[in-house]
Amino acid sequence: MNAADMQSSSFLSRLWKYVFALMLIASVTTVFFLLRDGLNTTLVALLYLIPLGIITALWGLGPGITSALITFLTLNYFFIQPYYTFTVHQPADIVILVVFLMVAVVIGQLVGQAQAGLAAATAREREATQLYELSTALTGLQDEQAIGRILANQVHALAESEYLELHITGTKPFVYRVPEMSPPHRPPELIIPIEAARGVLGEIRLWRAEQAISSREQRLFQTFASQSALALERAWLARAESRARVLEESDRLKTAILSSVSHELRTPLSTIKAAASSLRGKEVSWDSPARVELIAAIDDEADHLNMLVGNLLDMSRIESGALKPKREWNILPEIIGSVLARMKRLAVDHKLEVDVPESLPLVPVDYVQMEQVFTNLISNSLKYAPANTVVCIRARQEDESVHVQVSNQGPQVPPEDLERIFDKFYRTTAADRVTGTGLGLSICRGIIEAHGGRIWAENVFDGLAFNFTLPQLWDGTKPPQLPMDTEAE
Amino acid sequence: MSNAPHILVIDDEPQILRAMRTILTEKQFRVTTASRGEEGLTLAATSEPDIIILDLGLPDMDGVEVCTRLREWTQIPIIILSVRDSERDKVAALDTGADDYLTKPFGIEELLARVRVALRHSANRQGAQGAQNKVVKAGPITIDLAWHIVKRGEEEVKLTGTEYKLLAYLAANHGRVLTHQSILTNVWGPADADHTEYLRVYMRQLRKKLEADPERPQHILTEPGIGYRFIVDE
Repeated sequence: MNAADMQSSSFLSRLWKYVFALMLIASVTTVFFLLRDGLNTTLVALLYLIPLGIITALWGLGPGITSALITFLTLNYFFIQPYYTFTVHQPADIVILVVFLMVAVVIGQLVGQAQAGLAAATAREREATQLYELSTALTGLQDEQAIGRILANQVHALAESEYLELHITGTKPFVYRVPEMSPPHRPPELIIPIEAARGVLGEIRLWRAEQAISSREQRLFQTFASQSALALERAWLARAESRARVLEESDRLKTAILSSVSHELRTPLSTIKAAASSLRGKEVSWDSPARVELIAAIDDEADHLNMLVGNLLDMSRIESGALKPKREWNILPEIIGSVLARMKRLAVDHKLEVDVPESLPLVPVDYVQMEQVFTNLISNSLKYAPANTVVCIRARQEDESVHVQVSNQGPQVPPEDLERIFDKFYRTTAADRVTGTGLGLSICRGIIEAHGGRIWAENVFDGLAFNFTLPQLWDGTKPPQLPMDTEAE
Repeated sequence: MSNAPHILVIDDEPQILRAMRTILTEKQFRVTTASRGEEGLTLAATSEPDIIILDLGLPDMDGVEVCTRLREWTQIPIIILSVRDSERDKVAALDTGADDYLTKPFGIEELLARVRVALRHSANRQGAQGAQNKVVKAGPITIDLAWHIVKRGEEEVKLTGTEYKLLAYLAANHGRVLTHQSILTNVWGPADADHTEYLRVYMRQLRKKLEADPERPQHILTEPGIGYRFIVDE
């Protein structure tokens, strides 16, 4: 329906009100006319007031006043002698006519005012209800998009707009359109700013050509916008608060890191400093066996220090999401073998067992990172398990993944801590009894999860077992078939 | 002293330069140092070093680029120094023509071993092409490159065609690190340069046929994230 149609239809409905009013007057006049002989003029004038009241009440002031004027004429024409003229002879009739006109007009105005008052009250009540609905819908919302969506939909429904755009500016700007299409090729009929204490948060652009937007509607939409501005502000404050909490948390963590790190770094440094300074001084003679001992200590502790720094680097990389596995099809036993060869010296007090089937398929993993996982899990086992016990490494294929277990015969962990031992700096024992950064297991978790696997710990009958799974598919592909040659030279 | 090998060290950290100068001079090398890439390139051209030790993290230019620019005009052996976790850079430098690498912090024996290997390969390159290297011995393993015969002790080991090609390439470059890409390109061809899984599987087979304990190899060593290295002496 276009604007011209709309206008003509509203004109028609207004016209009909007049037509109905005239028809009512006409029919009442006909009845009075038929009963004219039994009625005196005063009574007719009084009775005329009834349809006039009804007309004003039903169709408003315009038709009411018009009807009053017409009735004034019909009263004069049909019911005041001489009949069928507009002349009046009796002074009393003049009084009747004048009083009738005055009363008719006053009634019309009073009834009309009451009607308008009622309509205004109804409109106000509707606005209040809509506003209430809006604020209820916005309560507790912390998502700016959701707030914007509700505001846009409500204003759109209320204004019966043909098109509406909601623009939210700020750090995360977005535009919401109802209906979902491109805007009409003309400037919007109304722009309502969304203002809060922080400044302008956005605006509503409204297109409605059919019916001019009344100032009452403008006021209402403005109220809607302010209500939503409050909700947006609330959401912003809530986010700021949660950001502050995160910062506080990371600050706390940093303090923990610093204290743990300085403690851990100082231990090897002390050894190095003591050994180097005594070699430099005159305390240790050139051919003393202590000399070899001290030099070995410096060398070992430097390696230890290097490992600590490496752990810290790994952790920061995991934290920042920069740990991207460089996947290749790898043979798990090869990785395990090279780790064990390197750890031989550390594992002199324990027995290392490997139970990995030859048929284990290739796995898509980062060679260096998987070495790190095995190194950390095995060294953790060596650290806590008593001497002369067995550390066992098992691997099995399960469905579409490979399940690896590193178990030891060391102390068990309380069930409620099994999950937490993978947290940073979490220890089940006092920090000064065991060396390490408290990062080894959380690095393992970071690496395994970056590979799309899962890691967990469980108590087994004689100790503790670390388990992890590695997906066997790489982007949905299975291990490749190799072009093998079998002929010997 | 003038016959002593001349080493050019390019590194921006004064402490490292100081330690290297002290230790290498002690080991009867002549040492020149540079703390920037450009300076290093100039010294490489003017001071005629026999070997270059190059740090990848230089202030003025990328170490990989230094490597590329050196390789434009010289085959002087280059040994890369880098910190842990920069496998990508190491591989890039090795693939642009560096001969070997060391991860900081490193032991001095490691450094000297790398220097010796690099000097030997450079001497071989200059002298009669590998004349003295027709037979490579690594512990009980003997590889006759001229007759294509591989023995373990007195017993001949049967290898497939690809296995032999792979072993021969490793043996001819013994002591040096060989990147995945360079092995794949030389043994399988450039089209297969990305198939590291071939290497994993064939290396495993070679270890089973040649090593005393295939899980703890003594000769065919894995360089994590980089490639492989064939070691002659235990």
